[in-house]
Amino acid sequence: MSHRILIVDDEDDIREVAALSLETMSDWKVDVASSGAQGLARAIEFQPDAIVLDVMMPGMDGPATFRELQKNPRTAHIPVLLLTAKVQSSDQRRFADLGVKAVLFKPFDPLTLADQISSALGWE
Amino acid sequence: MDSAEQSALTEALDRLWARFIPQIEERVAVLESAAAALNSGQLSVSQSEAASAAAHKLAGVLGTFGLDKGTVLARELEIEYSRVGGLDPAGAGRLIEMVAGLRAMIESHK
Repeated sequence: MSHRILIVDDEDDIREVAALSLETMSDWKVDVASSGAQGLARAIEFQPDAIVLDVMMPGMDGPATFRELQKNPRTAHIPVLLLTAKVQSSDQRRFADLGVKAVLFKPFDPLTLADQISSALGWE
Repeated sequence: MDSAEQSALTEALDRLWARFIPQIEERVAVLESAAAALNSGQLSVSQSEAASAAAHKLAGVLGTFGLDKGTVLARELEIEYSRVGGLDPAGAGRLIEMVAGLRAMIESHK
């Protein structure tokens, strides 16, 4: 089944690898945004089935963007997966407590990223 | 997993790697400058923060391109450059070696 995914990350290399991975391995329709503010706008317009949201971004970071998504009735229903290079367990607990669907870790394996997302969202 | 899709992705990733090499090398250069500055006792707070951010980005991306050991090394460098109270110049030699190791890994992956 084809899904619509929005990737929000300020790092263009990560954004492009993730988009390439999901489009190639799963035939999902992918949209990208390079900041939290742009991600909010794209989420309203694109209405993705899920959002992969980087934690550390300049300006509005991932957790702040997630809170804004939750406040907006047009995006509050969209499941969010945080993407982070932070590996400390205290960070992981903090992110999980936000109420996101899952926390994905960088570096991810481009061959299995779609499987990870599907598994986290019960799409299998 | 479909092997045709897998092979298409691998080829596309190789092209992306070639495209992003300059950006990745710029991040390594930030780490090299910071290590050299520490060695000469002139590492500023802003330079240390920039090095920590560069190492964080490298840690996140290198393994995605198959350089898992690069991610491990970049993570160690991120921790070093994030130390509260700053770094001890006596540790500069070790940092210089770590960054040189990182650059060598990236060069050999070209």
